[in-house]
Amino acid sequence: MKTLIRVSIRCTILASWLVLCAAQAAGYETAQTLSPLPKPFAAPDFTLQGEDGKTYRLSDYRGKVVVLNFWATWCPPCRYEMPSMERAHKKVQGEQIVLLAINVGESDDKVFEFTGQYPVTFPLLLDLDGAIIRKYPVIGLPTTFVIDPHGVVTHRAIGSREWDDERMLAPLRRLLKP
Amino acid sequence: MLLLAASAAAVINTGTDAEADLPYWEVVENGVSLRLVQRLPDQTRGFFQARGFSIADSELIAQSCVFQTVFKNISPPSDPGVIEYSLDEWVVHAAGAQRRVKTREDWNKEWAVRRPPQAAQLAFEWSLIPTRQVYRPGDYNWGLTLYNLAPGKPFDLDVVWRHGGERHSTRLKGVVCAPDVHVSPATQ
Repeated sequence: MKTLIRVSIRCTILASWLVLCAAQAAGYETAQTLSPLPKPFAAPDFTLQGEDGKTYRLSDYRGKVVVLNFWATWCPPCRYEMPSMERAHKKVQGEQIVLLAINVGESDDKVFEFTGQYPVTFPLLLDLDGAIIRKYPVIGLPTTFVIDPHGVVTHRAIGSREWDDERMLAPLRRLLKP
Repeated sequence: MLLLAASAAAVINTGTDAEADLPYWEVVENGVSLRLVQRLPDQTRGFFQARGFSIADSELIAQSCVFQTVFKNISPPSDPGVIEYSLDEWVVHAAGAQRRVKTREDWNKEWAVRRPPQAAQLAFEWSLIPTRQVYRPGDYNWGLTLYNLAPGKPFDLDVVWRHGGERHSTRLKGVVCAPDVHVSPATQ
């Protein structure tokens, strides 16, 4: 039994190492940086349907820090960061921090299919015609904005991040301090 | 990995991309990393047909010399820098002539005439590397660049960017568009 456990642990370590090596070789490793915007701006409000059938309005989250992510299922870096967003979502429960991920241009069926492989419990919103992404200064996917409790966009990250990393969460928590 | 050439402080590498198992060309310079990975026309056909493009439109894209492209700001926290580029400044040298990279704006003109479905156009637009971008430390984009050359054609590419406002450029020599290989079950 002990041998089996040892083999299992070794296999797990080896598998993790292989994934890490593959990711590094392909240049997927990311720096955990969240840049403050030189010119913060008021977050354009929107109302969107979620993949869960509910309606979400950005201004309903006033008083909270919102991490607003633009993504697509076919975008590799978007997929890489999705599990870390789910971990971050769980990590900040009970704090006034919410995550919203806006899918650009894909159907609810496509997004639902995606959640089979990448289960997430935070809202996935559907920007079917790309109207909302055009209200924000996004020119590549994924792009993520941080919106402070007053509805002002204060930070931006272009490309994927490990959102549950404390270096990413610390600036979000600082925004909640009066 | 083969070291091809060094222009100014740039290191230029080529080899086989571990994930794609296809050739890549890469520039690494102070604060900047740019990697072009070949993308087979069949991969491009499949991707865009799945996004709603017709066979004819996906063929047009697939025959345009497509590279998976990763542009990163890798400047360290000890020396953070802002990196900017515009694809309009990049120059493609092929068969004794010069041409520009075919950008989102160029393709939008094609789609205005060919009228693919809106969802397909959206996927196309966002799957291309931005025409212009500003990267702060840690930022990067991953997308397609298209060179408007036939499969298998070689070319040199002048890559231009600005680091802290200062213009930098380097030439990637001997880049090759992916050949149009049709893999049949018998050859696998």
